[in-house]
Amino acid sequence: MNRQHAEIKLKNTFGFDLFHDEQWETIDLLFQGKRVLLIEKTGFGKSLCYQFPATQFDGVTVIFSPLIALIRDQVRGLNEKGIQARFINSEQSSEENSQTIQDAINGKVKILYIAPERQENQEWLDATRRMNLSMIVIDEAHTISVWGHDFRPTFRRIINLVKLLPNNLPVLATTATATKRVECDIEKQISGDITTIRGELIRENFELFVIKVSNEDEKLLWLGENLEGIEGTGIIYTGTRVNTEIYSRWLEFMGISTTEYNAGLDSDSRKEIEIGLMENRWKAVISTNALGMGIDKSDIRFIIHTQIPASPIHYYQEIGRAGRDGKPTKLILFYNKLKDDKGIEEDFKLPKAFIDGGRPSIKNYQKVINALKVEQLGERQLMKATNLNQTQVRVIKADLIEQGIIKEAVYGRSKKYEYQFNAPELNTKAFDELRQLKLTELHSMIDYVNLSTSRMEFLCDYLGDSTHNNYRNCDNTSLKPYSLNPSDSITNKLEEFRETYFPELSVESKSSNIVNGVASSYYGVSTIGAALHRSKYENGGDFPDFLLKLTLKAFRKRYGQEPFDLIVYVPPTESGDLVKNFAEKLSRVLKVPISHSLIKTGETKPQKVFKNGYLKRDNVSHKFDYSNLGEIAGKSVILFDDIFDSGATIKEIGNVLTRLGASKIAPLVIARTVGGDI
Amino acid sequence: MDKELSYWLALAHVPKVKTKRKNEIVVRFFEQGKSVIDFFHSEQSSWKSEFDLTDSETQLFKEAFSELSNYAFMVEDLLEQGYNILPITSKEYSPTLKKNLGRSYAPPVIYTKGNLQIMKEKSIAIVGSRKANDNSLTFTDNVAKKASKEYKVVVSGFAKGVDKQALDSALKYKGQSIIVLPQGISTFKSGFKKYYKQIIEGDVLVLSTFYPKAPWSVQLAMARNPIIYGLASEIYVAESSDKGGTWSGVMDGLRKGRTIYVRKPNPIEKNANGLLISKGAKPVDDLGNLSQY
Repeated sequence: MNRQHAEIKLKNTFGFDLFHDEQWETIDLLFQGKRVLLIEKTGFGKSLCYQFPATQFDGVTVIFSPLIALIRDQVRGLNEKGIQARFINSEQSSEENSQTIQDAINGKVKILYIAPERQENQEWLDATRRMNLSMIVIDEAHTISVWGHDFRPTFRRIINLVKLLPNNLPVLATTATATKRVECDIEKQISGDITTIRGELIRENFELFVIKVSNEDEKLLWLGENLEGIEGTGIIYTGTRVNTEIYSRWLEFMGISTTEYNAGLDSDSRKEIEIGLMENRWKAVISTNALGMGIDKSDIRFIIHTQIPASPIHYYQEIGRAGRDGKPTKLILFYNKLKDDKGIEEDFKLPKAFIDGGRPSIKNYQKVINALKVEQLGERQLMKATNLNQTQVRVIKADLIEQGIIKEAVYGRSKKYEYQFNAPELNTKAFDELRQLKLTELHSMIDYVNLSTSRMEFLCDYLGDSTHNNYRNCDNTSLKPYSLNPSDSITNKLEEFRETYFPELSVESKSSNIVNGVASSYYGVSTIGAALHRSKYENGGDFPDFLLKLTLKAFRKRYGQEPFDLIVYVPPTESGDLVKNFAEKLSRVLKVPISHSLIKTGETKPQKVFKNGYLKRDNVSHKFDYSNLGEIAGKSVILFDDIFDSGATIKEIGNVLTRLGASKIAPLVIARTVGGDI
Repeated sequence: MDKELSYWLALAHVPKVKTKRKNEIVVRFFEQGKSVIDFFHSEQSSWKSEFDLTDSETQLFKEAFSELSNYAFMVEDLLEQGYNILPITSKEYSPTLKKNLGRSYAPPVIYTKGNLQIMKEKSIAIVGSRKANDNSLTFTDNVAKKASKEYKVVVSGFAKGVDKQALDSALKYKGQSIIVLPQGISTFKSGFKKYYKQIIEGDVLVLSTFYPKAPWSVQLAMARNPIIYGLASEIYVAESSDKGGTWSGVMDGLRKGRTIYVRKPNPIEKNANGLLISKGAKPVDDLGNLSQY
C-alpha cells in the first residue's frame, strides 16, 4: 500500500488527513513485515503506528501494554470508530477475559491489548495456538531492557517470544524514554533485522522548577500555601505510600480537595480515582508512582514531586504525561538538602535506600536455591519454607529464572518452581553492576537538582536526544524561581494538624464484627516510635504519659462519645505488662471497665520475626481464647495493643471475639507501622 | 538455534505426513547447507520441484507456515518451563535413537526434561507385560542392577509391571534412566513431582515424542514402543503374551533387524516368551546372560 492510498483509508477509518513522516516510515516498514523500535515523546501519535496497520491486516494484532487506564480509553475510542478492539487484563472478570480470548480466536477482534503478565497465563498461552496473529506490539518497550529504568521480569518472556517469532511477522516496540544504552539493548534483545526511529524529546510547554528545602515541614507548608495558586488540576508524587495519606490529609485539612492513590488500593478504588482525575474532581491526586503512566488526560496542569525519582529518566517519564495539550504546565520538584552528621542530604536517603534494598541479600538467594534443591515448590510454599516475604521471593525467583538456575513449570492449575539440573552458580556480579548503574543514575538526578543551566536541555541530553533547540522555561533560564517564606498562620496550622491527625487501621471484613480502628501515630514518622522502643526493648519503664494523651485524642476523634462496655488488651509476647498497664490507664480515664480475660492458648513468637503474612497469620491462628464467656456476649469492646503491623493479630482476635458473641470490636493502638506486605 | 524451534515444531507436527517424508525434507535442506527457516521461507512453488512435495503435502505445509507464530508462543512456554526441544539435527539429539530408527522412523523433534547427557550413554531397555509374574520382575531387577553397575542407562516406558520395575530398580542401584512417555511431555505432572530429585540431580531424563499437550492414549502408548527400542542399544524382554504392546513391539524390532534378548521361561509359565525366541529373539537366563535354548 502506498502512502496516498493509506491516507485515504486513514481518513475513512480514523478521521485524520495525513501521517507525519515518521509515522508513515514506521507503518511502511511494518507493512513489509519488518521489526521497528520507535522512540518518540508522549503526544507524538505512537499508537496510530500500530492501530492503523492493525486495521489493514487479516488477523489480530496483539499489543503488550502495562498501561491499564490508557488501554481502557484507547479501546473505547477505537470501538467508537467501529474498530474491533478489546483488552485482557485484571480489570475485567475472568469470564470477560475468557470471552475476549474466544472472540480473538474466532476472528472477531482486530486489536487486542493485553497486560504483559498474561504471558504467564495458561489460558492465554493455550489460546495463542489457535489465533490468527498478524502483528506483535510491545508498548513501553524500555521495560524490556535490564538497563531500562523499570525493568519488569514478565517482559523477559515477551522478549523470548519475539526471538522465536517467524521472520515475516511485523513487530513494533515503542517507548517515550530510552537512553542510547537502552536503545541498543532493545535492538539486541529483539534481534533480527530491526530499524530504530527516534524523534525529538523537547516539551516546549513544560515549566520546570526545583524547590530546595531544609526540612520536611517546608514541603507541606509550601504546598499548603501555594497549591491553590497553581492553575488547573494535577498530580503530586510522594516517595512512599504513607506520605500519600499524610499529604492528602494535610491538604484536606487546609481545605484543598485532594485524594490519595497508591498500589495498596483495590482495583475498583483505583479506577474510581482515575475517573475522578479525568473529571477534575480534586485539585490534586496524591500518589506514588503507581499512577499516571497510563492516564490519557491532555490537561494535567502540574506535576509536583515531594521526593526525587530514582533517575532523570524516571523524572522525564513521570512528568511526561502532563500538559499533552501543549499549554503551559508546571513541573515542580522538591529536594530536602538538610545534611545529617555524616554529610548525607536528607532526600538522597530514600532513593538510596531503594537501591540498597532493591535486592535481597545473597544469603536469601541461597535459601531459595536450597529449598528448591529438595522439592518443587509454589510461591506460597516457598515463602513458608524460607520465611521471606512475597516481594523478596518474587525478586529472587525472577533473578534465578533469569540466570537459568530455576524454572517455573505449570502443572494444570498450579505453578511450581524447579531447580535445574546442571544449573549455573548464582552470578552476583550482574547485581553489582546494576546497583552501580542505579547509583550513577541517582547521582545524575542530584545533578538535575543542582543544575544552573536549562533543565529541559539536561533531560533531553540525558535521554540521548542531542538535537539543538532553544531551551528555556525553567527557573534557571527564563522563569522566576519559587521562594520559601511560610507565614506564621500556616506554621500554626501545621502544628494543629499534627495533633489531630490519626491513621486508620483497615481491618473490617464481612465475617467479623471488628470495625476499622485508629492509631495515635505512625511508628516511624514522629518521636512515638522511639518512645515505644525505649519502653519495650531498652527497659525504659511504662509507656510515657504523652502517649496516653495522644492515644486518648485519637480515640475521641475516631469514636467520639460512643459508649463501650469493655476494654480488652492483647496479651503480651515478650514485653511484660506494658500493654496491660497502659490499658488500665485508658480504662480509668475512659471509665470503661477493663477485662483481663483475653488469653493465649498457645505459644506465639513476636510477629516481627516473620517476614510474610502467611507466617504471621499462622503464628497467631487459633492462639487466642477468652476465659470468661459470659462477660463478652453482646458487648461492645475496645481492643487495645501497642503496635499494629500486618494486622494479623488484631484480625484474629476480632474473629475470636465475634465467635463468642461480641457485638462490636473497635481497635485502638499507639502506633501503626508502614508497609506490612499483605 | 532457538530461533529455528518454531519452524521445527511446525514441521514435526504437520498432520497426515509420514515421518519419513519429513526427514527427507530435512536431509535435503541440510545437504544444501540450509536451515528449516530457509525451507519454510523459500518459494512455496519450489517445494514441489526441490523437495518433491505433492500438491496435498504442499497444502499441509502451507497451513503449517501460517501457524508459525502460534508455534512461537508454544515454544516460548515450553522453554520457560524447563523443557528441552531437540530437533533431529541437534547435537543433543540421541545418537542411539537416530541410528536405530533411521530416516524412516526417527522423530524430527523430541521433547525432554533433565540431564541430556544420559542419551549419549550406552543403554538398555527392559520391556514386558503390565501384569508380569514374579520371575519376570526378579529378572527385570537383575538386569537393571547389572546395567546400572556397568553404567548403562535403563530405558523405561513407564507402564505398570516390568517398565516400572526397570525404572525403580535402576534408581535403587543408583543407575540412570530415561522415562519414555506415552503422552505429551507437559502432562506428566505426578511424575515430575515424584522423580523431581532424580531429575535435578541428573539421574533421570524424561522424554516424549508427541505433541506436548497430548494426553495419554492407547495409540500413543503403542506409538511409544518403537521409541523405547530406538533409544536402547540392547533390548531385554521379561515377559510377553502373544498379543498386545510387548508382542508387537518385539515383532516390529525383529523385523527391523534388532537383536532382542528374551528371558527363557520356565516350562510351566504361560506366556509367549518361547514363541518370540522361536521367531528369532535370543534367549537369556534369569540374570540376563545368553543361554542356549
